[in-house]
Amino acid sequence: MKSISLLVSVLVTLALSGCGGGGGGTTSSSSSTSSNTTSVSTFSGNVLTITVNGSLCSSSTSSSYPNKPCVSVTICSPGTATCQTVNDILLDTGSYGLRIFGSVLTGVAPTQIASGSGSLAECVQFGDGSALWGPVRTADVIMGGEPAVQVPIQVIDAGFGTAPTACQSADATPAAAGFNGILGVGLHDYDCGTFCTLASNGMYYSCTGTSCTATTAPLANQVRNPVALLPLDNNGVIVKLPALGTGGATSVTGSLILGIGTRANNIPSGVTSYPADQYARFKTTFDGITYSSSFLDTGSNGLFFPAPSSGSLPACSSPNAGWYCPPTTINLSAITTGATSLPSSTINFMIANANSLFLTSNSVFSELGGTYAGGFDWGLPFFLGRDVYVGMANKTSSLGTGPYWAY
Amino acid sequence: MHTTIRVLLACTITIQVAGMSAQKAEATLGQTASSITSDRNALSAVHRATMTRSSYTVQEFTSGSGTVREFVSLPGIVFAIAWNGLVHPDLTTLLGAYTAEYQSALKQTVRKRGVRRHQVISDQVIVEKWGHMRNLQGRAYLPALIPSGVDINEIN
Repeated sequence: MKSISLLVSVLVTLALSGCGGGGGGTTSSSSSTSSNTTSVSTFSGNVLTITVNGSLCSSSTSSSYPNKPCVSVTICSPGTATCQTVNDILLDTGSYGLRIFGSVLTGVAPTQIASGSGSLAECVQFGDGSALWGPVRTADVIMGGEPAVQVPIQVIDAGFGTAPTACQSADATPAAAGFNGILGVGLHDYDCGTFCTLASNGMYYSCTGTSCTATTAPLANQVRNPVALLPLDNNGVIVKLPALGTGGATSVTGSLILGIGTRANNIPSGVTSYPADQYARFKTTFDGITYSSSFLDTGSNGLFFPAPSSGSLPACSSPNAGWYCPPTTINLSAITTGATSLPSSTINFMIANANSLFLTSNSVFSELGGTYAGGFDWGLPFFLGRDVYVGMANKTSSLGTGPYWAY
Repeated sequence: MHTTIRVLLACTITIQVAGMSAQKAEATLGQTASSITSDRNALSAVHRATMTRSSYTVQEFTSGSGTVREFVSLPGIVFAIAWNGLVHPDLTTLLGAYTAEYQSALKQTVRKRGVRRHQVISDQVIVEKWGHMRNLQGRAYLPALIPSGVDINEIN
């Protein structure tokens, strides 16, 4: 706990125009009110800066963490002007909803959501076997220069009540997790959905004192992708990150644009839409095998896929086991296909020797890859040099009705 | 490569307690599949299917929060388990006698931040997890007991 530097500034006013704009937060968005044609065309408050291993990432949580995309969000006590801006929020297109460590929320007090006679809490698990545990509370969340949205978030607190088995090793600190928080802006709205309204589910719990029992959670109480609640820019996001040469960079800066085709600055151009299924998956064919469990994930810090049968991609030895370590950088390609089997496109990519990459002083790499078991996880390198549109389920844009990816 | 899907129990009830961790019907890794039949009563809450391959069968258990598949060799030993769903299942149940060596190996496994997959290799069992929110996946298997000719990619 002691080494956590709180990249936090407490704000006492809702005049947060400084958070908007893609150029570092100095843009003044004076007219964020009416939605007439004029303001739609000039509005730039739907842009958040992304730094990959840059100034928005905390050094205390980011060591040995390449390809880490960070944004900043502002949290307010519900219905008040008591707000706090928190950096080092991992941008994650592979999850849904905002989760922030309670230990960094020093200046605001989100409102606990009840569950029966107890307090609603949640255990979320990730693909790497890690987990986050803590109460579900309502906060006003401000992204960029958008209006605040009131939304259930998870306040990460490993010591809340008694964690269920799956969360008994949940990350206890930002340093352990590798972030102050995580902003899930993937293809879904709710982090569980209908099933959690019907039956105990392994995610939601009702806690009274130290006792926590599995419970249902109505949709209105589930942790929710805050983009879905924006007044206008609520149909998805665009992730824009610059291309990167071989060998990498110390950091890169890009933009998260809220909304697709809702403003002058987010009109789709030159991209193809690939439908995803109900699990936010589409297909990737690599080395002659089609993986239906394939997805685009800014929260994955490499390209993760099963090694080709040729043996051209040996895994690294310890301590970098799990990454690929080809003797020389190799060129590969795969075909991405919509979940409905159309359309398809070929993606060319490179994989370099991870041991060599990690020996440099760089932290952002486009040619970083690792092993994967049952699918193809297009992580952050996929996004470098490619505008990726994340079309939310049941929302429509000129690219179609989500869930879809477009690039 | 013929595949027969036979629905043994089609139930409309899908009540599960705390997700997949509570599926009493699961046999454990390395043991015989007999507990699957003896626990038939407990199965009333899940939909179950059996898929027959040339050198093994797959017993599938489904609840709203996920699906667990148990791979049973012709001699009747569970040599692998795979899952997908909202949550990872409770491995202390599924790994049975291998739980201790898994947990020991897990402690030795260095956490890699940002990686959405994880692999724990111990003397006899390999556990892998991967996936993302609302679609978590994984498998646990005993390499020494995998029938010859079975590709690891079939365990999914």
